[in-house]
Amino acid sequence: MNNSLALLSIVFVPVIGAFLLPLAGYIHKYLRNAAAFILVSVSLLLSIKLIPQVLSGTIINVSQAMPLGFNLMLVLFLGAMMGIVFSSNLILLYLFWEITGIVSWRLIGFFRGQKDVLMADKAFLITVFGAVVMLLGFISLYAQTGSFDLAVIKEVLKNQPLSNLTVFLILAGILSKSATLPFHTWLPDAGVAPSPVTALLHAAVLVKIGVYVFARLFVATFAIAPDAHTIVTIIALASTIISAGAALIETDLKRIIAYSTVSQIGFIFLGLASGNMIGIVGGLLYILMHGIAKAGLFLCAGIVEQNTHTKDITKMGGLIRTMPWTAVSFLFCSLSVMGIPPFGGFFSKYLVFMGSIQNKDFVVTGFFLLGAFLTIIYLLRIFKLIFLGEIQILAKEGSKVMVFSVVLLAVLSLAGGIFINYPAQFAEAAALQMLGTVK
Amino acid sequence: MILKLLIATILFPLLAGLLVLVVPKQLKWVKEVLTILVTGFGLCTAIALFNKTLMFSIPWAGFGIDFSLRLYNFSGFILLATAGFGFLIALYCTSFLKDKDYAKQFYLYYLISLAFTNGAILADNLILLLFFWEGLLGSIFGLILIGGKDAYKTAIKTFIIVGVTDLCMMIGMGITGHLAGTFTISQISLPLTPLASLAFTLLMIGAISKAGSMPFHSWIPDAAIDAPLPFMAFLPAALEKLLGIYFLARISFDLFQLTPQSWISPMLMIIGSLTILFAVMMALIQKDYKRLLSYHAISQVGYMILGIGTMVPAGMVGGLFHMINHALYKSCLFLTGGSVEKQTGSTNLEKLGGLGAKMPITFICFLVAAASISGVPPFNGFFSKELIYDGAMERGTIFYIAAVLGSFLTAASFLKLGHAAFLGPKNIENKKVKESPLPMLIPMITIAFICILFGVWNALPLNHLIQPVIGLERLEGHNFAGFHVSGFLFTMTLIVLGLALLNHLWGVKRTGSGLKAADHIHYAPGLHYMYDKAEKRVFDPYNIGLAIVTIVAHLAFGIDRAIDWIYGTLIVKTVSLFTGIVKMLQDGNYVTYIVWSLTGTGIILFLVLR
Repeated sequence: MNNSLALLSIVFVPVIGAFLLPLAGYIHKYLRNAAAFILVSVSLLLSIKLIPQVLSGTIINVSQAMPLGFNLMLVLFLGAMMGIVFSSNLILLYLFWEITGIVSWRLIGFFRGQKDVLMADKAFLITVFGAVVMLLGFISLYAQTGSFDLAVIKEVLKNQPLSNLTVFLILAGILSKSATLPFHTWLPDAGVAPSPVTALLHAAVLVKIGVYVFARLFVATFAIAPDAHTIVTIIALASTIISAGAALIETDLKRIIAYSTVSQIGFIFLGLASGNMIGIVGGLLYILMHGIAKAGLFLCAGIVEQNTHTKDITKMGGLIRTMPWTAVSFLFCSLSVMGIPPFGGFFSKYLVFMGSIQNKDFVVTGFFLLGAFLTIIYLLRIFKLIFLGEIQILAKEGSKVMVFSVVLLAVLSLAGGIFINYPAQFAEAAALQMLGTVK
Repeated sequence: MILKLLIATILFPLLAGLLVLVVPKQLKWVKEVLTILVTGFGLCTAIALFNKTLMFSIPWAGFGIDFSLRLYNFSGFILLATAGFGFLIALYCTSFLKDKDYAKQFYLYYLISLAFTNGAILADNLILLLFFWEGLLGSIFGLILIGGKDAYKTAIKTFIIVGVTDLCMMIGMGITGHLAGTFTISQISLPLTPLASLAFTLLMIGAISKAGSMPFHSWIPDAAIDAPLPFMAFLPAALEKLLGIYFLARISFDLFQLTPQSWISPMLMIIGSLTILFAVMMALIQKDYKRLLSYHAISQVGYMILGIGTMVPAGMVGGLFHMINHALYKSCLFLTGGSVEKQTGSTNLEKLGGLGAKMPITFICFLVAAASISGVPPFNGFFSKELIYDGAMERGTIFYIAAVLGSFLTAASFLKLGHAAFLGPKNIENKKVKESPLPMLIPMITIAFICILFGVWNALPLNHLIQPVIGLERLEGHNFAGFHVSGFLFTMTLIVLGLALLNHLWGVKRTGSGLKAADHIHYAPGLHYMYDKAEKRVFDPYNIGLAIVTIVAHLAFGIDRAIDWIYGTLIVKTVSLFTGIVKMLQDGNYVTYIVWSLTGTGIILFLVLR
């Protein structure tokens, strides 16, 4: 199979296949589940063939026994994701971008309770507002360059800088999708969704689209003014500290992990906005390592929630004795997010900091260091409250498939640190390509 | 061959640790035998590698992060020391942990700690060093966590304190590498610019935190109570001190071009002096065997930092000599504490007493180690302390006074400890106590023997371990082996020790009990108030730090809620206000609509015809 055919299949096999899933469901439930799995697997395998970007796709096998429509949405979502990843045209990118918005609206409000729908509306309105502003940015880009094609834009913008207004319009869209301050509050609220959704979409994938597009446009395609760099860094900084503080106060497990995601996205922006090789590689590795570890945390939270029937961490305790596998996986993933060796997060955090140090931004580095301290403190706090101390709610270990998924993610976090050379090589190649075209 | 052995020192304990994890419960002695074999092999390897040199490097993650190891006299020496402690304490554990249900986990974390420590010692790349160094966090967390039901609080405290300082170190390494243009430790030698000073300070925070100096010390006394005892003898007493002071020496001697004139030297000396005094003051009033020892583990780091901070030959040699001496006598002391705990079931000094006759060998080992730590001639601690006094005297009398005052209190608290535990009236509950089994005695005797050996024949460690490390250039032609103590310092030491003895005897006479011999200091006016506050942890930097963090977090949460209020309330309210107005206009009344239409038409006509 040649590469262009593979590329088309990655996007359109799941997108079109998604609409066939409900039909398959009429024949048999298992056929539907199997078909969904196969569709995603095709996409995944083909992606691995091209670039190893979607490691998180494997989580899909958790979604058993969900009502009709769930698989449709998940697969459609992944297809749209792939669409964004491979679009080289701004309008196409915008279309896929909106598909993910609509699908996540449906997925967040999945249980159709009053609160679910309200939160889904909130997420939808904020992200769509951002997307529309971004579209304005695209149009103004068109006015300046006469094209929506990224390759053409790159050629045209080689010698002239981009107006800051365009940059900020596009940035608003990116920030709203990646749940960064001041557009972040929808993400903690989206915790009402089923756990696989929050894990896959809102921690591992969806919020990373924003970061991906940031890298694609602002790093790979055109250079942005130094002022804009500074502003992005400051926004990321505020986002990191404020949401880390919120994570320390909240008592709802899923909300804490969501705040933690918002906080960590700040680190990714710091790396990508640094504009130097080491920072960008750090940012790219951070996307990967954080995606794996955070998905693991959300799935562990799902297991805990399912077995204790509560999300309030102050009502839990001592669960390490009854659910050791989940506890250890949770700890491993936490360590990776904190950036403790030998886990993968160590290298990505270090490289991101190094990028900032190379720019001589010592004040910014200092504040992000505070963010890293807070990360350690709030993650240990939830680990302590859920798994250590006195048992308050008796709960048994999750089902084998679920435990297997979280253990797999924990092991991947560990392997990502020990065998850092493989992902680092990919990230380096990607960063070289990005920077080589700018300078 | 050397390379293979070098990698084996890191890899074998790691693999053995994982193997221990999967050993089935039915096979009783497998994990013990495995641990002994691996640590014994490690000791043999370290002996074989001693005084050899090797550089090895392969690329790893890119960006200057290479997997590079360097074996030379300094790392070989520290490797030998850790291997020795690793083997002896493993032997001790086979007996101490016999009926503990956490034994399996203990061996796992123990072996991983050993592997990571060896890795950190041998690493010749800053980031690789940090990888192993910070990686120790996980196993330390585990080792404390298994100690008991409430140990998790201490485990979390430890993790936060050490994790935060390790992150500081990460930034320090980044700045160092950025300034030097390389991360290979053996190629870095930076002049002390302001930025380099910042990097040094950050690296120093990591180093002294690992060594357990103030203000990063407060987890050690808590861990002494909660964690399994061999952990205390292994990590805070021995390995972490070796590692922390080793790294402090590396950054002070090699990575940065420090001179006695730079402001870093007084900073180190001040940190050292304050640590000596505050920690020993706390040690003096403790009523628990292990907790008392743990405060001394903090206090003694002060001497090492003070010694290295002087940046004069005598002080530097003394600092490093004190590092190895302290590791010896402090782990020996903890092991005697474990022996007492194992046989009597308690380390509370109020429940102990008169054990000297029942456990003579433990008592003798205690005496040797306590004499060493108090600086009684001719034990090893005497010689290293004299060298540090010499260095401190050269840099300023105030530092010398702090060090001597620390020695006085150290001697006083060990007189109290020994008196309360081993002498005095026998406790009724301890009637059937007998001496510990052989696997626990061998390590104690061995270490106590080395304490005497390093004192009587101090040329052995000084000429073969310490002075080659510092190098002829820095030594300025001195050789400190043998008895080189000036008359004044020697006399002062004897006077101080004599005063400590008199003070103790007076205290015993006053209160009639060894345990309460220091009460006149504890309940002295003014001091009493401060002691009360300190016991309530008012001065604990960890609690102060957490309080600040909580305030920051509440502020941040407030901002977050305010932003959410804009979306959830302000926008919704504003929109519904406008829609409300528009809604009111649409009241379904025909006349209203006609009026609206006519008004609109009128406006249009007006605009067109104007």
